[in-house]
Amino acid sequence: MDADSLTRNLLRCVRILREVRVSLLPNVSFLLTRLICAAIAVAIGVLSTVSVVPDADAIPAFARKYNVTCTVCHTREPRLNTFGERFLENGYQMPGTEDGGIVGKKKLGDVTLPDVTDYLAFRMRANAVSMFNVDEQDADTGPKDRTLLGSPRNFTLLGAGTITNNVGFFADTSDRAVITLNNLGMHNLAHLRIGEFDPSAFYSHSTRRQQLGIVTAKLGGASSLMLAPAAFAAKFSGLHDRHGALIDPSTPSLFNTESEVGIDIHGRPFGDWFLYQVGVLNGEGEGTSDSNNSKDWYVMGRLDWAQSNLFSANISGFSYMGTNNATIAAAGAPGHDADWNRYGVAATIRYQMFDVYGSYTIDRISGLSEATEAVFDTSASGLTLQADVIVTDRLLMSAQYNNLDGGGDRSMRLRQSVLGLQAKYFLRSNIAIFVRNDLNLRSAEESPPVHHAFRHALLSGLALVF
Amino acid sequence: MSLYLAITCIATSQAAKLDRSPEALEKGATIYHRACIFCHGIAGKGDGPAAFFASSYSAPRPKDFTRKDYKFRSTISGELPTDQDLFRTITNGIPGYMPPFEGLTETERWNVIAYIKTFSPAFQTEHVNTLITLEMPPRPATSDSIARGRMMYLELECHVCHGLDATGHGPVHTQGDLKDNTGLPIQPTNLTNLPSFKNGASPQDIARTILTGLDGAPMPSYASAFSSPDTSIWHMVNYVLSLSTATQP
Ligand code: HEC
Ligand code: HEC
Repeated sequence: MDADSLTRNLLRCVRILREVRVSLLPNVSFLLTRLICAAIAVAIGVLSTVSVVPDADAIPAFARKYNVTCTVCHTREPRLNTFGERFLENGYQMPGTEDGGIVGKKKLGDVTLPDVTDYLAFRMRANAVSMFNVDEQDADTGPKDRTLLGSPRNFTLLGAGTITNNVGFFADTSDRAVITLNNLGMHNLAHLRIGEFDPSAFYSHSTRRQQLGIVTAKLGGASSLMLAPAAFAAKFSGLHDRHGALIDPSTPSLFNTESEVGIDIHGRPFGDWFLYQVGVLNGEGEGTSDSNNSKDWYVMGRLDWAQSNLFSANISGFSYMGTNNATIAAAGAPGHDADWNRYGVAATIRYQMFDVYGSYTIDRISGLSEATEAVFDTSASGLTLQADVIVTDRLLMSAQYNNLDGGGDRSMRLRQSVLGLQAKYFLRSNIAIFVRNDLNLRSAEESPPVHHAFRHALLSGLALVF
Repeated sequence: MSLYLAITCIATSQAAKLDRSPEALEKGATIYHRACIFCHGIAGKGDGPAAFFASSYSAPRPKDFTRKDYKFRSTISGELPTDQDLFRTITNGIPGYMPPFEGLTETERWNVIAYIKTFSPAFQTEHVNTLITLEMPPRPATSDSIARGRMMYLELECHVCHGLDATGHGPVHTQGDLKDNTGLPIQPTNLTNLPSFKNGASPQDIARTILTGLDGAPMPSYASAFSSPDTSIWHMVNYVLSLSTATQP
């Protein structure tokens, strides 16, 4: 990329940021915009001195195995495009094929020997610098402004691929391990997943594939602050998992959890236009055992339109039924088993450089006594809307809007709207640096102190996969 | 010792293997809709829902099957590919941009070939009459042969696009003038990176690339430059191969 187009990109990005800020946030300090733009300018400036060799992209496991670039499957890593989604659904086999027994295998007599680099990959995400800005609070107990330096400790070693045709696996060093059995009965009739996985992998808005990564920060005060999509969040204050651990109301959970133990099945038996999924999980925070011996269930359906004109659209809905999957200890009320359910819709529209998606969820808790309901709000909702724009081959701009109308303990229900803006610059298709700013748009009066005090966060860091 | 390359034009009837019965076409369509549509689009125009992302604002986009300019051919520039050419492309994939489809059975691959040929009327009306065959075995890559290849590289002005160091940064490219037939900027291949060659990396593959050119891309056909008995394509090929062995010991 030459200096001219860099300057153009920069100006464009500054303009977009200004426009968004001017229209949405008239009274936030002008300094903020300047800060973001300066950070982006520095980042892009530094990068322009690094010589970029476009045809030498280093490629992670699947890309290595099939000898293609990352963006064959991703819009931009980590989000999948339509082709990548079908590859995932097919158990890490090319759509329309059952090639798991062939590609990436060396044959030695009747033994096939996989090439290790076709299976192993390495992922690292690091927020190099995060600056959190909060309102003045009680000096001793309240959250405080923080500038946090990150270490690239957030790395994962992962192995994924196929053992033979229609048998796949995925395992990483953080929280997932799954075996897939694919194309049972007939091509694309049923694919089975067994293990510890993300239920929403095939949903229109997948939990794990966030351009604005999930961030947790300790800002002093009682609880830590988590920046994560509101639609996926646990939403309730004062909710505990079955082991008694308090659930952060921002944590992705239930259908939208990052991983839980269970079994599920999905397929497109009638053609590409319709996907079904049904699954059963142990439930929130339950590993291989289940402390209550009851299971959670979910069903998901998805409609797809993916044919031509660089266009695709899909819409999905799910229903998640929890059984005694949480306990409640609201102020004054005794600990109490409850059924925590969720219903959600999500959609994606992609056209050329635009990828616009979002989801809305409603959570309900049932099985509470009247006395508990008096102090515990049993319904909550979350909305996440996101737009990603591929501005140049290397620059991705994203905006994410979150609105959480939390429930739970009536004295501190989480009520928050956050707008996140991010510029992500890809040095290679698998290495990116980003600058991001998250702004609290509501004063969040009722909310827990840390959410109430939170004003904005400026985050900058690195994401890479090998 | 008259080692020269024979460029022979042979009238060829298309692969006897290609079954164009309605049943075969229907099977081909099913495979196409499962495996190819996301990139090549329902009408074969190269505008599938995932077609934008791999290269975005640069070439290549997935092939528009309604156009007759194919890159990977054994035929003279301007002509359609043979069925075997298509079979090779689909089986091996295209490094960087299209995965190999060796997971489809041979019959499935022939069926999908029969189907994609229905997108362009040229396949119905034009017969592929001409084949460039490489009759002579490759020459050994002696230092003399490689040096002669380097001379040809400069004489034929390959460096204008591919650069003096052959990494793909020649002046025509750095001026930003290189576009493919869709009007998108295209990067000349880094000739020191053999595994990235789309049309294959064997001596025969490279000779084919240079002789036929890649239609639709600025890479021209050099068939006429190598038609006389005393210029051997193998010197050129040996030179290109030496570029990668030099950098990848
Ligand atoms: C992930 C996207 C993708 C998928 C899936 C895909 N292709 Fe391609 N295909 C491409 C791209 C990109 C090109 C153009 C590459 C270039 O010009 O360098 C191409 C080119 C081709 C070509 C033309 C080669 C030439 O000589 O110009 C053929 C034939 C072809 N594809 C057939 C198929 C068939 C058949 C399928 C399904 C079995 C398929 N492709 C699936 C991306 C894809
Ligand atoms: C006008 C510019 C131009 C000239 C002159 C040119 N090339 Fe190319 N060449 C290209 C471009 C562009 C590509 C990449 C095409 C693509 O990726 O689709 C290419 C690709 C190639 C490839 C790789 C094909 C593959 O399999 O991916 C080889 C080998 C090659 N050229 C050799 C040569 C040689 C040898 C000469 C001189 C005899 C030459 N080129 C002259 C533009 C040029």
